[in-house]
Amino acid sequence: MLLLTDHYRVARQALDRSKTRAFLTMIGVAIGVASITAILALSGGVSKVIGRQVADLGGSVAVIRPSTGRASLADLSNPSPSNAYSTSPLQERDVTSISELLGVEAIAPLMTLSGSVRTNSSTPSESTIVATSPALQQISNLETADGQFIDSVTKQNTAVIGTQLSIDLFGTEQSIGQTFLVRGQSFTVIGILKRLNQPINYNNIDFDHAAIISLESGKLFNGGIAQIQQINVKAAPNTNMSRLADSIKLTLQNNHDNQKDSDVFIGREIAQPTSELFQFVSAVMAVIASISLLVGGIGIMNIMLVGVSERTREIGLRKAVGASNGTIVSQFLFEALIISVLGGVLGFLGGYFIAFVVSLMIPYDPVFSWYIVGWAATLSVGVGVVFGLYPAIRAARKDPIESLRRYH
Amino acid sequence: MAKPANKPVIKMTDLKKRFGVGDAEHYALDGVDLTVKKGEFIAIMGPSGCGKTTLLNIIGLLDRPTDGEYLLDGDNVEDLRSGQAAKIRAHRIGFIFQNFNLIERLNVLENVALPLTYSGVPHMKRIQRASDILKGFHLQEREYYMPWQLSGGQTQRVAIARALVNKPSIILADEPTGNLDSKSSHIIMEELSEIHKKGNTILMVTHNPNLTTYATRVITMLDGRIDTDTAEPKLHENKNEKRPLNKSAKQKSSKKGAKTTKSSRRKAKK
Repeated sequence: MLLLTDHYRVARQALDRSKTRAFLTMIGVAIGVASITAILALSGGVSKVIGRQVADLGGSVAVIRPSTGRASLADLSNPSPSNAYSTSPLQERDVTSISELLGVEAIAPLMTLSGSVRTNSSTPSESTIVATSPALQQISNLETADGQFIDSVTKQNTAVIGTQLSIDLFGTEQSIGQTFLVRGQSFTVIGILKRLNQPINYNNIDFDHAAIISLESGKLFNGGIAQIQQINVKAAPNTNMSRLADSIKLTLQNNHDNQKDSDVFIGREIAQPTSELFQFVSAVMAVIASISLLVGGIGIMNIMLVGVSERTREIGLRKAVGASNGTIVSQFLFEALIISVLGGVLGFLGGYFIAFVVSLMIPYDPVFSWYIVGWAATLSVGVGVVFGLYPAIRAARKDPIESLRRYH
Repeated sequence: MAKPANKPVIKMTDLKKRFGVGDAEHYALDGVDLTVKKGEFIAIMGPSGCGKTTLLNIIGLLDRPTDGEYLLDGDNVEDLRSGQAAKIRAHRIGFIFQNFNLIERLNVLENVALPLTYSGVPHMKRIQRASDILKGFHLQEREYYMPWQLSGGQTQRVAIARALVNKPSIILADEPTGNLDSKSSHIIMEELSEIHKKGNTILMVTHNPNLTTYATRVITMLDGRIDTDTAEPKLHENKNEKRPLNKSAKQKSSKKGAKTTKSSRRKAKK
């Protein structure tokens, strides 16, 4: 049996002769591995952003959201998925009854309002209006850079706004005391939030572009009824979260005539619905990317078959001087593996390059993880073995006498 | 001349090799009995298609007999798995081909070192041994030449060096001078003869009767059988008479072909 270094030497000698061919084949694998690496790095970025926020919460937060159908292909292709406009079953009554449960330390309903924020001179294109309770600051770790957060005293017509919204509205981060309009109603800025740079989070609100008003003000825009999209509950220290979640579920069912129309999430589940659709999209893209890897693999098989038939006489000679079938198989397999692994390395680096370029245009960074390295390595070695094995076996099966007689 | 006390390297009994099936069936070897002792230099002659090369391939374990028994160094090779056969080829057999069969993209040194790759010799040692062997062929200054930079005679000498590098017990040469001019042919034959004098066993297939002068034993084959064998009549003759007898037989056979060999030898006997 040959040593690995011998196999490497033999394979390199063979590849040296046809460098261009080997390089082009390598590119095929590299493209496949690059696209998979880029997709994994970027989708990992999303999960990591949300996961880190959930981890920051320290596992003491439960989130209640209306039940929605699972993300489906139809949701992806519909111009406006139905559940985006459906009315939330969560009511102010639920907030009240949950706050009375044992172990609930703070509770914040989130009511996002449609309509834009403007001043007489400017209308920012991107803004969100959130009506909530002062407890949100504590639950979601929102810090103010200037001024104060909404509290129980400052009820009407006051707002806390994100840094970017302040710049968009007033051209400055120092906008305390300035006023802006929401549906003709005037609000005074009493606080500016610290810049968070977290457009993706479990609240589904980009706080840098948000105007936070009190729930009472929000209700006024909606005929006095709260339209709650999400309720954040912070538990007291040392509370059993799953038991709390169960009692919240029970309370909601009692309030809603035993209809199960909302879900309670704790721990890692909080991040799930946000990333579910994204994961679905990534999975679809990964499948498409693996087709390119398949094409790369076929390229390897093709080039190896050409190599085997070109080197028929060499194979015959090697067998005559003592190479066993197994040695011939490993020689050719090794050659295929060198192509695919070098392609894999090239693709991995290229994939991260693509991911970083793409991340300049989207609001999160690609992640590096050993899991992605593992995938890239497994895929490239796998492609080499799967597509190199058949040509290698063909090579080993050649009859030495016939092979030596060729090209006389 | 081989000593009778020597242990046979090759012993074949009623060896048969069939090719094709049904109507196309024919026997390339049809009952060959052959014993080769250590240190013999055998020239195998005969018309095309008489089974010379098939015999050589079976001896070299590249092919398997359909029927009969073949003992190599006293071991029956019938039940060998292909991996074991490869191992024997790597350690005990050296091949020399008519068309040299060097690997074009490897230099002379790497070509000579090739068989050692498959007998488990470390890389540096392989190169060392290949270099030593090439020195013996006065080719050491050509070590880093590529095969296409060599003349035909040089190429075949490299191929012979390759066949010798693993110190085989048998060297099998299939028309080693078939692609060479007569001058190069004689240089190659001198080399083979030199190797033989060092105690190697050589089996050579050739069409050229002049070259059989280098051999210690000449076998002619016809239709898959051994037709004449200069080692056979030795029971009836003493050794001194045998050499000239061989030569006359060879010269005649060169003109008239294999069939006349028998009759000419009969004449010589008288």
